[in-house]
Amino acid sequence: MQTKILLDEEQMPKKWYNIQADLPSPLDPPLHPQTKKPIGPDDLKAIFPMELIKQEVSTQRSIDIPADVQDVLRLWRPSPLYRAHRLEKHLKTPAKIYYKWEGVSPAGSHKPNTSIPQAYYNMKQGVERIATETGAGQWGSALAFATMLYGLQCTIYMVRSSYTQKPYRKSMMQVWGAECIPSPSTKTKSGQAMLAKDPETPGSLGMAISEAVEDAASHSNTNYSLGSVLNHVCLHQTVMGLEAREQLAMVDDYPDVVIGCVGGGSNFAGISFPFAGDKLTGKHKDVDLIGVEPASCPTLTKGLYTYDLADEAGYTPLLKMFTLGHDFVPPSIHAGGLRYHGDSPIVSRLVHDGVMRGISYHQSEVFDAAQTFARTEGIIVAPETSHAVKGAIDEALKCKKSNEKKTILFNCSGHGNFDMSAYDAYYAGTLVDYEYPDELIKESLARIPKVP
Amino acid sequence: MRRIGFLVNPYAGMGGAVGLKGTDGLLNEAKKRGAVPRSPELALAALRPLKESDIHFLTCSGTMGEDELQEAGIPRYSVEYRAPGTTTATDTRNACSIFLELEADMIIFCGGDGTARDVYDSVGTRVPLLGIPAGVKMYSGVFAITPPAAAEILKGGGKIAIRDAEVVDVDENAYRHGTLRTTLYGYAKTPYIPEMVAGTKQVFEQPDEERAKAEIAQFITEVIDGTPGVLTILGPGTTTEKIAEVLGIKKTLLGFDAIRGRELVAEDLNEKGILTLIKDEKKLRLVISIIGAQGFVLGRGTQQISAAVIRKIGIANIIVVATPYKLSRTPLLYIDTGDPTLNGAFGDHIQVISGYRIAQRKRLFQPEP
Repeated sequence: MQTKILLDEEQMPKKWYNIQADLPSPLDPPLHPQTKKPIGPDDLKAIFPMELIKQEVSTQRSIDIPADVQDVLRLWRPSPLYRAHRLEKHLKTPAKIYYKWEGVSPAGSHKPNTSIPQAYYNMKQGVERIATETGAGQWGSALAFATMLYGLQCTIYMVRSSYTQKPYRKSMMQVWGAECIPSPSTKTKSGQAMLAKDPETPGSLGMAISEAVEDAASHSNTNYSLGSVLNHVCLHQTVMGLEAREQLAMVDDYPDVVIGCVGGGSNFAGISFPFAGDKLTGKHKDVDLIGVEPASCPTLTKGLYTYDLADEAGYTPLLKMFTLGHDFVPPSIHAGGLRYHGDSPIVSRLVHDGVMRGISYHQSEVFDAAQTFARTEGIIVAPETSHAVKGAIDEALKCKKSNEKKTILFNCSGHGNFDMSAYDAYYAGTLVDYEYPDELIKESLARIPKVP
Repeated sequence: MRRIGFLVNPYAGMGGAVGLKGTDGLLNEAKKRGAVPRSPELALAALRPLKESDIHFLTCSGTMGEDELQEAGIPRYSVEYRAPGTTTATDTRNACSIFLELEADMIIFCGGDGTARDVYDSVGTRVPLLGIPAGVKMYSGVFAITPPAAAEILKGGGKIAIRDAEVVDVDENAYRHGTLRTTLYGYAKTPYIPEMVAGTKQVFEQPDEERAKAEIAQFITEVIDGTPGVLTILGPGTTTEKIAEVLGIKKTLLGFDAIRGRELVAEDLNEKGILTLIKDEKKLRLVISIIGAQGFVLGRGTQQISAAVIRKIGIANIIVVATPYKLSRTPLLYIDTGDPTLNGAFGDHIQVISGYRIAQRKRLFQPEP
């Protein structure tokens, strides 16, 4: 009875999988926020290195992972794939549950899969400093780790509510030599404007993005880096799905269901795109790809598929995606990493086309699932990850009802060792189940910029 | 030094222990049944932690305040009202008037809903009032959770904030016959300590009640602006009042008013008035807030919103609003329309708008049919 399925270091993927090659038609282009015309590489040059801009629009199926990047990724990759025997037994399900365990990275999540190449390409182009935003601190700590390895300075705008309440990820950023600033801050014009409008604002990811983009655009030695949403980020994360597909092949298996949690979408993209590619190219037409999101920020399940800004202030291009509106400030849930108004344009497109689908849960039920997982498999997952756990458990329970021996794969994207206060709240019974009142919002909505 | 008016209703809660479900008008009966005063003990529990505080207490003689302060070992007080041997509601009201004349910053009282109503009669919203819970019924929102919690609030010094709290009137006769019929009597100001919900990742609960109300009002205003033809009935309360304010409408605080878009159509409607008004409307909406410390969405005291009115409006068209603070204090919400079938149609959970484009999912409790 094999529990861990491991790849050797030399079996680590040498190329990323670019799903844009297999889309039936090209993605709708990002639009300039003022002119509403498609943007070109020149519009992005001020804040991104050229290699990442190329990857953003590339339609080449495989893109080489630079040898330097592979060297760093080997610190923890290939990551293990687990068969969740104990969870299966507990659920009494005929289904097979596998999970890809990404908590083994130094930052404790899947985020370094993209922070490493992003820092690398910036370093190669002679950039000295990177500015970014972080919600709960997962991305900030991952980028702090990466920039340190390549000798870059790093400034991180951290959503204010997390900054004061989540001190440990901030401490990690400090250990890795990055500067962490609560957002909105007085350091940027957009931050000043948001504070003038509302001095008590808890901040949001959209606001922090505006500050980081402004910082990068107004300093010639500084670039911007985003931890999710964009095509090149999803691309870098495909190492997870590529490895998982290999690992499953080692035990002669292929998933019927692939599950990941969805905030900006790169975690779900990373685990599912290789399988989505198999679906698009007809190799495995029936694989069910499920993105799990919080009921409080239900972008895929209740958002509109339209062009919207990626940030609060309107510095970023308009992206065609599922969105709750760029001015939506999601409520304060524990899964801070899933609080984003929009979603990856590729994930959005695939959901819109029916290749993937979204589901949503309330936070108390996902903590129930996380507890079950911790008490069977031992791992205490991050609140974000617990959404994927809940999705997997529900699929396994459906199999129990229908007596189907499906193979379920989910991305166990990070540990919750810095999130114990969230578990404390769960046991204290103080978790609030937030909802997105979509019917009322539809009646009120006239705020998304109109694109002809 | 802060000046705080302090009074004890020495008979509060006596009826409860002897099965009278309230003491109003039944003090002699309660005494006959062997009831002993319990509020002095509860008042002491709130006073003892305040021995070293910077408060000067203005109080009443004997068991109406002085005795309790003395026993708690608090020297900083002055007796400003001479209470008779057997005190009544009039004494509560008179003492409060004197405290106000002496420029008390706040009134603390030990009692139940009846005492709260008497204090509110006299004080209104001129100064904040805080109840040390000692009554049989405490459905009003002005009570601290426990007597020591009242002390914590008073010790809070500069950190305390003020919120609106309902004073409700419970029909004691109906209550004795097993029916809880509460009517909203008014809104007092009450102190509280804004608190973060401890130990969360994104902890920002909206601690400021005014801010939370403004957010809710902004959202509901956008909904109303987005559907200008819909006749909307706004229920009582300060949250719905805030909605009206954002819409530029003057609303009655305690009544049900009807609006269409940003126009006031009718105010302070009774059930008949509502039914007449909505008779020919195709699309209707009701915006109500949660009333009382026990979390009533619709109680039997909400006589204006009868089962017939709810059926005509449609459950799906009822928007419930409440601030996060209020919701954190009311883990369960109640619906009692007086019609079990209709109660059941509300389901196990209800969505409550708690901020700008944010709602909470709350468990709904319905009385046994």
